[in-house]
Amino acid sequence: MDRRDFIKLGVIGGAVVVSNPAALNNTLHAHDGRLFQSYNRVKLVDENSNAIKASKLAKEEAYIFNYPHVGTPNFLINLGKPAKRKVILKTQTGKEYLWSEGVGTFGAIVAYSGICSHQLMHPNKEMSVVSYVKNAEKTMACDRGGMIICAAHLSAFDPEEGGKNYAGPANEGLASIVLEHDEKTDELYAVGVLGPQRYQEYFASFKKQLKKDFGGKRKAKKLVKISAPVTTLSKYTKEVLKT
Amino acid sequence: MSMNRRDLFKLATITAATTLAGTTAQASQKEENSPKLKAKSNGKRVVIIGGGFGGLAAAKYIRKDDSSIEVVVLEKNGIFMACPYSNTYLGEIEGVSLKRLTHDLYSGAKNHGYEIIQTTVTDIDRKSKVVSTTTGTVDYDILVLSPGIAYDYKGQFPKWSDEKIRDVSQNAPAAMIAGSEHLALKRMLEDMDGGNVIITKPDGKYRCPPAPFERASMIAHFMEKEEIPGKVIILNANESIAKGAAFKESWKEINKGKVEHRNNCDIQDVDMSKGTITYKQEVSEDKYKTVTEKFAVLNLIPKNVASPVTKMSGLKLNAWGGVHMNGASFQSKTDKNVYAIGDVVGHALPPSGQTANWTATMAAREIVAQLNGKKWKMSFPYRSANVCYSVVGADEAIMVTHDMSFNGKVIKGKGSVPKPKDGNGKFRSKGVAKLADAWFDGIMNDMFI
Repeated sequence: MDRRDFIKLGVIGGAVVVSNPAALNNTLHAHDGRLFQSYNRVKLVDENSNAIKASKLAKEEAYIFNYPHVGTPNFLINLGKPAKRKVILKTQTGKEYLWSEGVGTFGAIVAYSGICSHQLMHPNKEMSVVSYVKNAEKTMACDRGGMIICAAHLSAFDPEEGGKNYAGPANEGLASIVLEHDEKTDELYAVGVLGPQRYQEYFASFKKQLKKDFGGKRKAKKLVKISAPVTTLSKYTKEVLKT
Repeated sequence: MSMNRRDLFKLATITAATTLAGTTAQASQKEENSPKLKAKSNGKRVVIIGGGFGGLAAAKYIRKDDSSIEVVVLEKNGIFMACPYSNTYLGEIEGVSLKRLTHDLYSGAKNHGYEIIQTTVTDIDRKSKVVSTTTGTVDYDILVLSPGIAYDYKGQFPKWSDEKIRDVSQNAPAAMIAGSEHLALKRMLEDMDGGNVIITKPDGKYRCPPAPFERASMIAHFMEKEEIPGKVIILNANESIAKGAAFKESWKEINKGKVEHRNNCDIQDVDMSKGTITYKQEVSEDKYKTVTEKFAVLNLIPKNVASPVTKMSGLKLNAWGGVHMNGASFQSKTDKNVYAIGDVVGHALPPSGQTANWTATMAAREIVAQLNGKKWKMSFPYRSANVCYSVVGADEAIMVTHDMSFNGKVIKGKGSVPKPKDGNGKFRSKGVAKLADAWFDGIMNDMFI
């Protein structure tokens, strides 16, 4: 996604059309002030702190990186085919927002919050009930693979369509992480969060686990700066529970 | 407030309160004399009766959707305790404690800006849109009924005196309404040195269909762990077992004869002093035998009915006490300003904690739309709207999922009991037990944070 496309991430029907790229450093207020928020621009790196290359991401592998907070995990997925473009999503309260497209040469790379929009299930270091089910895999949560699913309550989200809730008790989609792809260097950057953010509820809900995983809620809340390490879900957590 | 003898009498039993609530003149006179719990509504007030899995979720999601709506929850208990997952407390499953099952009632109110008032509802006057309670009255624009269930000892045992019902309900507690009954049952299990634990499963609709069977698994697990001689006997009023194949598999393979299930048992009487229960069992068509069985601990689950609060509303109800619904909606058929969620909905849904939560999120959207002069329609089918787990061993569980659809009259749940990927062909697995644990944290957080 180039910068011009990035600017298109306004909110449909909302008063905001971003015309000044300088404004990207601040919160872009959709009419409720929540649907798009820019955070630190951070480079996605591997475990040796080298920039990861978008074209090297394995097809349909579930990668994890934490952003915008130190303790908020996200999925990074190369779908292996271009994601749909210009998808309109609705929040639980019926507010609409526009998810623009995937990034990378083929528009196949997407990133979504790993925190389920239903009851905030997510990958932690011990286990993950949220996972990516490949196209060829089956899941109890819905009638096809190629979905991010929560195995605890069986919500399914479509990563090809902006993280839209596809099945289960969730009433809105996953928040998506807005990525930038530098076509010259093939590097990826995370720049903001689009869609409903539930971070405050998340931090209040999982104090014990955040203590184990990040040394405490306050440390987990810190904003990621400069770079965010990317790893696979199976390395990030000891056990992936799929249904 | 001061109460005269007549008022006190009225509060003595809910049945009495409902019958006396009859005349409007009496009701409105009482309203005028009662203190006001709140100043008059400014036109956007939702009053929710019941601060359980349904009511608290509804309060949160209404406020999240539209913070200009004032929400007041009326709850009779002073502390929240979860019924879902509570069988694992009886089974002493690792990681489960009373602390995890309980919560203060105030945090959701604080986090989402609604009000919770500890009081008991005594009357609903839909004409003047006022709810009366033991401590005063409150007027509403939209009323939500989420009062849960009640036990129908009288209906099932018409010959029993009130005194006997009290004795049985305290010393053979049903433990389907969270609170003292669960703690009492736990105490009895801790105190027993041997003998059989008998669980009775009632006829008709009751809260959480797999609960009596999960309880059997958990108590058998506890007895095994504590080396208590004896077994768990389930006296089932009919033949149906929710998640039946899955439970039978685990009873056979985990509990190894420690759980015995008996079909078609019609409970005749209980003798608390002798510690016996007598039932008539249909052994073949029209052939019955009467059996008297001794128990060390009795968990007598009587017939369930909808909480009598639904009767106070004067809405059209079904025989169980559930509210007739306005099509694919959680609005009542009788009154567009009254909604029902959780156990008391007139839809064909399993009465479970997650169903209560789901119906609450749906009703919240409808209510917000209505108060803003809009309409919101559900779209069907709703896949896996209910997912519910039963723990069957130290670290294993089974699950059931329900897809919801609308058949033109009511919303209907269709259940299926899947076999997990890590179950090696069995219904149960360790992974499912971990999901159950995560499920419980998720739904508790959803109410209080």
